This record gives sequence, C-alpha cells and structure tokens, in this order.
Amino acid sequence: MTNDFVLQIKNLSVSYRTLNDAVSAVRNINLNVGKKESLGIIGESGCGKSTLSYALMDYLPSNGSSTGEVLFRGENLLTKTQKEMMAFRGNRIAMVYQNPYSSLNPSLTIGYQLDEVTMFHRGYKAKKARKASVEALADLYIGDPAGVARRYPHQVSGGMQQRICIAMALLCRPDLIILDEPTTALDVTTEVVILDIIGELKEKYDMSMIYISHDIGVINKVSDRIAVMYRGEVVEVGDQRTIFKHPEHPYTRALINCMPRAGVVKEEVRLNTIPGYVARRSAADTGCPFVDRCEKRNADCEAKYGMIERASGHFAACDRAYAEDVPDRKRAALKIPKVGNGSAKEEILLEISDLYKYYGNQHRRVRALDGVSVSLEKNSVLGVVGESGCGKSTMGHTISGLMAPTKGKILFDGIDISISWKQRTPEVLRDIQLIFQNPGRSLNPSFTLEKIIGRPMKKLLGIQSREERKKRIVDILQKVDLGEEYLYRKATQLSGGEKQRAAVARAFSIAPDLIVCDEPTSALDVSVQASVLNLLGDLQNESGAAYIFISHDLNVINYISDYIMVMYLGRICEYGRKDEVVGPPYHPYTQALLSAVPDVDPSLIREPVRLEGSPPNPTRKITGCPFAGRCHRKIGPICDTTPPPKVQASDDHYIMCHLPLDQLGDAELDKPGNLTKTESLMKTVKA
Amino acid sequence: MKDFLTMLKRSPAAIIGISILLLWILIAIFGPSISPYTYTAMDMENQMTAPGQGGHLLGTDSLGRDVLTRIMYGSRTILTIALMTSLFSSIAGIIIGFSAGYFGGNIDTIFLRVMDIVMAIPPLVLSMVVLGILGDSSILSLTIIVSIAYTPATARVARGALLSCKGFEYVDAARIRGENHLYIMFVEILPNTIGPVLVEITARFAYSIMMIASLGFLGVGLQPPTPDWGMMVIENKSIIREAPWTVLYPSLAIASLVIAISLFSDFVNKVMVNDK
Repeated sequence: MTNDFVLQIKNLSVSYRTLNDAVSAVRNINLNVGKKESLGIIGESGCGKSTLSYALMDYLPSNGSSTGEVLFRGENLLTKTQKEMMAFRGNRIAMVYQNPYSSLNPSLTIGYQLDEVTMFHRGYKAKKARKASVEALADLYIGDPAGVARRYPHQVSGGMQQRICIAMALLCRPDLIILDEPTTALDVTTEVVILDIIGELKEKYDMSMIYISHDIGVINKVSDRIAVMYRGEVVEVGDQRTIFKHPEHPYTRALINCMPRAGVVKEEVRLNTIPGYVARRSAADTGCPFVDRCEKRNADCEAKYGMIERASGHFAACDRAYAEDVPDRKRAALKIPKVGNGSAKEEILLEISDLYKYYGNQHRRVRALDGVSVSLEKNSVLGVVGESGCGKSTMGHTISGLMAPTKGKILFDGIDISISWKQRTPEVLRDIQLIFQNPGRSLNPSFTLEKIIGRPMKKLLGIQSREERKKRIVDILQKVDLGEEYLYRKATQLSGGEKQRAAVARAFSIAPDLIVCDEPTSALDVSVQASVLNLLGDLQNESGAAYIFISHDLNVINYISDYIMVMYLGRICEYGRKDEVVGPPYHPYTQALLSAVPDVDPSLIREPVRLEGSPPNPTRKITGCPFAGRCHRKIGPICDTTPPPKVQASDDHYIMCHLPLDQLGDAELDKPGNLTKTESLMKTVKA
Repeated sequence: MKDFLTMLKRSPAAIIGISILLLWILIAIFGPSISPYTYTAMDMENQMTAPGQGGHLLGTDSLGRDVLTRIMYGSRTILTIALMTSLFSSIAGIIIGFSAGYFGGNIDTIFLRVMDIVMAIPPLVLSMVVLGILGDSSILSLTIIVSIAYTPATARVARGALLSCKGFEYVDAARIRGENHLYIMFVEILPNTIGPVLVEITARFAYSIMMIASLGFLGVGLQPPTPDWGMMVIENKSIIREAPWTVLYPSLAIASLVIAISLFSDFVNKVMVNDK
C-alpha cells in the first residue's frame, strides 16, 4: 500500500512494567506525517513525548512493550527484528537528542564519529566519508568544517555540538528526522540560530520532521502541524495556526495561556494556571486524561471520550475549551501598582557599586562579575537577564552571601555586606533569602516540610516553641496554596511545583526584605511556572519584599520585574524600567535577545537579529565592549579598544554602547504595516 | 516498610541470608543456656567421638569437649566483637571522612595521604603485629584494634558519600542561614548518606567476622580456653584425619555466618542505594 504519508502511526500504545503495576506511557496514538511535513509534538514533562519517539524507532527499554502499528513508507517497524531496524535507524529515520554533550563520544574526534555513519550505512571509503562529513558540517553553517572535524566534542561549544548532531542525522539524507527537544539545553540566541537552520535544511532536503518540545514558541517556529499530548494521549491535532488561534481542548488552551509572553506583565494580567500536576497513569484508567485538572469538566467527561474532527484537519478530544469559565477559585488578580513610574522614589534597599568577582588563580582568571553597579529600591523587582555564563547567578550568590566578592561594595540598608555568610550577622542572614533554581536539590530530601520551613524560624527568628512555629508554618503553607496536610510530608513526596512552593514558603517564612530568586521557574513545567510566578508576584505585593529575579527567559523577566538589567560577560549592557528596556532604544544585545525569544503567538513574526558564535572566553581581559565580537551593529575598531560610554536614555534607563542614542532604535528594521496588537504594545523588532 | 517487604519477597537470597543470620543470633543468645555441657567440660569417656554418638550432636574434640557447645559459645564472642567493630569503625570513619570531605583543601589532602599509608598495610597484618606486641588479646583490645584497622576504609566510603551530597543546594541554604559546620554535616547531610553508610556497616560486619576468625586461627586472637571458631580450626588441625568434624563444623559456622551477612548486605545495598 502506498500513500503520501512518510509515517503513519496507528493505535500505538506503550506501557512500562514497574515494580507495582503497569504504567501506560503512551496510548492509542494515531498520527500521520506527510511528505515534507513538519509535525510538532508538545506537552509537559511526563506526557509521553519522548517515549513516543523511542517507540517509533522501536528502541524501548527492556521493561517497555508496544502494541499497534508504526508504518514507515508502508512497512511496519514494530514487526522488524533489531537487525532489520539497523537499516532504518540513522539511515532512513534519524534522531537528534536533547543533550548533545552526552550523544557525542568525548574520546573520538567529531570527524570520526560523522564518518562512521556513512561508512556503515553507505559503505563509503574513508576519504569519501570524510568529504561527506565536511559537506554536512558546512550545511549547518559551521565555519572551517574540515578543522572542526579534527576536533574533539569538548573543544566546541554546546550550540556547535548540537549542530554536529544534526549534521550527523542528516548525513544519510533520511526521509524522517525526529528532534527530541534539541534546543532545550541551549541559550536562546543559540537556539534561534539552530531553529533557522533546521527550517532551511528541511526545505533543502525534502525531509519530514517530528519536532518534540515543551515550548510552544519553539514549536510554532518549526512546525506546520501540532499534536498536543497529555498523559500519553494526543488530545488535539491540527494546523499550527488553528491550534494557536482556536484550541478546542481545554488543556491546549490552558497550556497556551499559561506561557508568559511578550507584552504580558504582572500589572495587567494574571497568568493562567493549571491546578495540580501530571500524574502517572496506570493502564486501568480510562476516559479523558485531563479530567482531574480540568476546570471545565462535567458529567460526560468520563464516558464520552474520543477524537472528533472539529474542522478539516483539526481533531480534538474535547470541545469544552470555551465552555463557561469556572470563576477563579483562588484570589482574584491583585491590582499591582507600577513601581518607579513617575511616582515618588522609594528608599534604596540595596546598592551595589563596582562589584567584581573572579574565579580561578592569576594564571587563569575567570571574570564572572566585571564591575557591576546597580541599586534596588524597596518593594521593587529587579530582573537580571542574560545568557548562561554572563555572571547573573554569581551576582545573586554574592548578594545572598554564598561567597564574598573579589572587589567592590554591596550596601544593604546601609550595612556593608560584601562579605560571605561566615561573617554576616544573623539579622542580615534573615533579611536576605535565596530561592534556588532546582527545588529538588535545595530542600533536604530527608526532612519534612515542618522541619524545612521551621528551621529558619527557629534559627533566625528565635522562635523556640514548636507549637508557635507550627502555627506560622501552616499559615505560610496556606499562602503558597499548600494545605496543612503537607506539614509532615517529605520533600521527596512532592511534585516539582509543590517543592518550589515549599521553597518559596521557606524564604518567606521569616519575612525577609530581599529575596534573590535564582532562576526559580526554569526547572519547572510551563503550567507550574505560571502558578509559581503568580505566587511570587502576590507574595511580593503583600509582603513588600524586594526581589532580585534572575532568569534567562526574557518573557518571564518582563512579566515579573519592575526594572530589568541585561548582563553580558559580567557587565551590564542595559538597565532601566522594564518598558524602557524592552522598547527602543536598546542595546544591540538586548535587541538580539528580544528577537531570539520564541514567541507563543505564531502571527508575531520578528525580523531576526542573529548572533553568531558564543560568548568569548571569560578568562581574556576585555579592553573594549564585551559584546563587540558578536555585535551586529559593530561600528569599527573603537568597539574593541575603548570601553563603551554610559548613554543615558532617561533618568532610569542607560545603555552601554558607542552608538548614539538615536541609532539604537529599530528604525532600520521597522517596516510599516501588519502590526499586531501585542507588537504595537511592545514596540519590538518586527517584520 | 511495605516496600521493604515487597523487595524482600522478590529476593530469595536475602531471605536465606537473613534467616541464617537470625538463626545464629538465636543460637548465640539461647544456645549456651540449653546446652548440657560447658565449653570447658571434658568428657573423658568420649574423646574424638563422631557426631551423634555419646550424646554429642557434633562430636567431641581430642580433649572430649563438645564441639556444638563450643561453637555456640563461640558465636557469642564473635558476633559481639564483629558488631562492635563494625559500629566503631563506621562511627570513626564517618567522623574522619566527613570532616575531611566537608572542609576539603589541605585537610582533605592530608587525610587522603594518611589513609593511603594506613591502607597500604593489610588490616590483618596490622592487627597481628599490634596484638602480638601488646600480648593482650582480650575482647576489648581485639575490638579496638580491628576497628582501627578498618577505619580508613569506612572513612573513604563516608567521605565519598558526603561529597555526593555536598554539592546540593540544601547545603548552601543551610550555610546562608548561619548554621554551624557540625549541624550541616551531621543533621543536614548525614541522613542523606544513610544508604551507603548502612551498606558499609553491614559489609564491615562480615569482614570483621572473617578478621576475628583469622586472628584466632593465627593464634593472636582470643586466648584459650575461650572458645573461638578460628582457634578451634587450628587447635584440631593435627587430628583432622581422625576427627574431621572438629575442623569441619567450626569452618562451616564461619562460612555460613559470613555468607549470610554478605547476602544481607547485598540486599541493604539494593534497597538503600541502587533503587533510590
């Protein structure tokens, strides 16, 4: 039987045997991938996306078993022997994994690993294989491909490694390429370059593609069609724009709405959340997988369940996405006053002047912080954004006292705190709290929440009575939407979102003045991220604490912050009120970051500003502008030799750049017409 | 606890190991009091009688002492010393290993070098030499010396377990809360290393039994007339042809106890470390 589909998945189910019961990871999947089509699969973690991709390659762990059919050009892959599958894997179906670092062998050269593919599948001789490898690398826009082929994986950057993995997948010109979160571990500026290349190569080689991601923005960028997965089932499939504009399944709608996106700020919008978390599903459960978290469930949900064609090519398992909204069970959106906008200035809480932090020794010195000066008002939120390695976490850690700075002063409420925790007074330790990125690692797994939250109270507030502490803990647990029943649970018994709530509760339990949030949502799923962001916003508003909010995600920063500080290589590029930073004039680096953020709304297409390469070696002493090497607006040698001046754009807003202020807008990128509403709000880079 | 029982059901080896161990503990507790003989009583009429004859279940040795009774008394001393040794060496190892790993730097380097030196001498040789020089082989000195000989190994395990937890942010969180080092080491970190530490204690238990039996065999262990399994083997070496049971049963006792504890230790490892 021949047809236009490259891949047809029919009633595919996968289950894992575990110690206690059988878990159905994927069930009754029916999907088709046409020629040259790109299918995006989206869902939270634990929704079976990766299991599905492994099942397609018939590459399940030993306790997994699959039923159904996977027809690849009419041949059922599930009935093939492992030996027969070798002709498919890497040859006609290729796969790219999330972590390039662990998919490349560190002890073999890149060229050797690439050559192997064609030598094995095509029987090429060494010379011919190398020629093909170098061509493939050149296809991925890797400069000096022959030189790169002689290097080892650890000698190139993470983004480059992922490009090499993609080159490897493309070597045999597969009919189908499966990309499993290929850009999740990368920085946004690197991610956007790789997404561009993927799109281009797909056209060039007439490939079909399955792209798996948890990020709607990324999916929108690369897919024609989107399948939404939830707890092992596809709940909705359809054209990319239809799914975004008019989702039918409540889960799809909730998922789209809970992503912070361009132009959404805490003063105006409260993020949508999905209560609960993705629970494991046993083989016995039937009915709608989303029913336990759905706010629009009714009596029919259990019984009537199945995919129905809502419109041509648009299938959904439910159409209640727009059913009357159940009124918000939680607090209504708080009116959050804008900070620093014309109103009287608040008192300064934290003042950092000329902060330096070096790692290493005289021979190899990493300049993590290279002269940072910033101040923070009481009751305000400073967002710190930048790529990994820009020094944002180091800044958070020196403020919270995990380490002392090399040079420079940090004044907190008039007290010099440029010392580490060892020398700080208990009052300072109490007033500055830190929320870590990974709650699984920051809450002691052996302790109950009572002990975790109670210990700072005992230690720093000096509350000796256990009853008194317990009362306060219950209070704070309720504030973070965890009930009293969580008091005696251990951290390991909580889901990711609950853990982070507990961590937030711990930070707030002793009423600090300043909380350093070090990427508190980046280890969480989007639906959970939204609820934690809401919670942080509410608590900040209630308690009047100031935040330093560190994140790599500009949308998140834009949502929660009052002021934004953009960092690059240990220095500040731009600082200002948030609307000033995300609008022109901006630093070229801010501009690049803004345009790199994959947006949720597919109708918002931005003029790409692409950064090549990765941040330079931080051990080198930089004389000029740190960003000069990658800047798309570099003027000339002045950028390399002279440190950029501080250009004051307004009272609160400055940019460190040699270009005059009037050239730092997006005038030359501005093209009139087709402005969407969000865009005009944002005044960002656009088509 | 429920998980523990389900896991137990799935590992027959662990059930066998735990049963044998429990059996030995019961023998050590009640055996001597139900035996009609004492461990020094010599039955002049029945010297070197075969098992089952003359009222001696496992026969007698050349002096007419009941082998079973001596094994039962011997189980008391060997279990006590081995348990104490494994506990003492683990506690000392945790304190030393934790301090070294926690403070790092020079303390850690010195620790590692000293441990290397001590470990270069086989524990058996070390214990033999020290016991030989002291000339005192009481239960107390045996316990102390074997504990010292085993401490470097347990300290290394403890240090490794601490290092795997030290990088976690809950340690940082405790630091910026102003907790002192002892609190962080023993309240925050210790509960999270309990898996590897328990495995080490149980494995050390088995090693200690072998060590004490070996020392007895070499003549520097417990001194006669205290019944000691290792010593029973060497005492009766000369009559192994005429009365093989005098050597066979003590040997079997040593082997069965060591194997039982090893099986139990493997199970602890499976439950506490691998499946976590």
